[in-house]
Amino acid sequence: MGKATVIPFGPQHPVLPEPLHLDLVVEDEKVVEAIPQIGFVHRGLEKLVETKDYNQFVYVAERICGICAMGHSLGYAETVEQLMGVEVPKRAQYLRVIWHELSRIHSHILWLGLAADAFGFESMFMHCWRLRERVLTLFEKTTGGRVILSVVCVGGVVRDIDDAQMAEVISVLEGITDEYLQIMNTLISDYSVKNRTVGVGYLSHEDALELSMVGPFARASNVNYDVRQFGKGAYGDLSDFQPILSNEGDCYGRVVVRCKEVLQSIDIIKELAAKMPAGDIAVPVKGAPAADAEACNVLEQPRGECYYYARGNGSKYLERMRMRTPTSQNIAGMVKALDGCDFADVNMIVLTIDPCISCTER
Amino acid sequence: MKYTTQFTTIPADSLSETVAACKQRQWRYVQTLAVNGEEGIDLIYSFMDMATGLLENYKVEKLAKGTHMPSITGDFLEAFVWENEIHDLFGINFDGIAIDFHGAFYALATPEPMTVISPAQKAAREKAAKVAAAKAAKEAKAKVGQGAAADDMEAKLAGMDPEKAAKVRAAMEVKAAKAEKEEK
Repeated sequence: MGKATVIPFGPQHPVLPEPLHLDLVVEDEKVVEAIPQIGFVHRGLEKLVETKDYNQFVYVAERICGICAMGHSLGYAETVEQLMGVEVPKRAQYLRVIWHELSRIHSHILWLGLAADAFGFESMFMHCWRLRERVLTLFEKTTGGRVILSVVCVGGVVRDIDDAQMAEVISVLEGITDEYLQIMNTLISDYSVKNRTVGVGYLSHEDALELSMVGPFARASNVNYDVRQFGKGAYGDLSDFQPILSNEGDCYGRVVVRCKEVLQSIDIIKELAAKMPAGDIAVPVKGAPAADAEACNVLEQPRGECYYYARGNGSKYLERMRMRTPTSQNIAGMVKALDGCDFADVNMIVLTIDPCISCTER
Repeated sequence: MKYTTQFTTIPADSLSETVAACKQRQWRYVQTLAVNGEEGIDLIYSFMDMATGLLENYKVEKLAKGTHMPSITGDFLEAFVWENEIHDLFGINFDGIAIDFHGAFYALATPEPMTVISPAQKAAREKAAKVAAAKAAKEAKAKVGQGAAADDMEAKLAGMDPEKAAKVRAAMEVKAAKAEKEEK
């Protein structure tokens, strides 16, 4: 048995998009234990419900994280609507899902670029982020913002997408698809990518269930769970929705699942655009949540299931707002995947959970 | 699989048993959260039945700050994140956390900041309580008013000729039935 050395990984590391610290106990290049630590970007955003009313807090929720901005504003708004018994118009539900799926596309392409950069494929990183720019341009044209969209409100959405803009969205997505397929095929068939990902960070189906993992991280270990299966909102009007699964359980499997989810999101947007109903984009919401009323909600963010909880106190300020984000749920799975890996594979394994530490710490 | 949710209150001393039952039923652990209420801190443990889509939220209510609760990381290791967070932000102690940061999970300027009630929150709670009390008083007054009117009518009928009183009672019943029919 070799001598055990503790090597600190992070919070500042070139492959980490956000600060995360791991104490890696290493023996002869093998990681025998990984102790995580977070807390570097804790901002106490949940406490702001005390001073921002339930309409204003949408703008705080979407600033929890830049990548998941649309998702958090949507999840928060849905939870408050449930709390107050508000029914959102059908057109608003469709618009929300279209923007949310666009958010999933840009998040996954961002991650693919980071993953490629993690094992030195810098040109792939550039191509991915160049492609992502076209999605951000769509956001800017339809909402006014590239990253923080500020388009969701309690009761609906604040902007509409007219027919001309919707046609442009579909046209851009169709244009992206061919180029994206080239990127995807390079990533999943290139031998050097497979060399760095196949068999690395393996988690069995049983481990994934035991550790209650969520999102593509879990679906790569064949866990058949995606919140979109419940058919809430506009997802219920899709002709068929099946989660993307993989039996691989390793980093390669996670890359494949995310690659295919981008194509699935493009199909979802096309289907909903074709079925878009006419009507209002919001309903007026008056009053305040009742004292001691509480509601919870789940939403499939790009990284997995996100749980939202809200409690009212009779005033326009919520008593409590809580977001349990997917990365925090997957930390235990990440620690398990690091157990016994080569030291050189640590950055790849950490990246394949698609960590969003801003979301985790709020 | 259809998504449904429910909230169930459980006593604090039955938490371990409840969590063990969820583990045995192969329910998925979703999260643990804390809420700082007027009468104490509530803990909510959420689990999902993957077969039916039921999201069950078990609530342990009105715990005092500093209360010791058993950790569930023995059954669900991933809960260590929330137990450490709740300890740092709310001051609830969890005994036996698998990965315990002993209060160093978050670097906080104020200890247990989620238990500090800001003046804005206190003012909002007091205003909401006053509004609720005023509404309840108004409703109670309306009920009393209806009761007083009924008593007056009874006194009048008692002083009437019995035949006439019977006719008045019958007319009142018909009127009440008509009003009820119109309401439906």
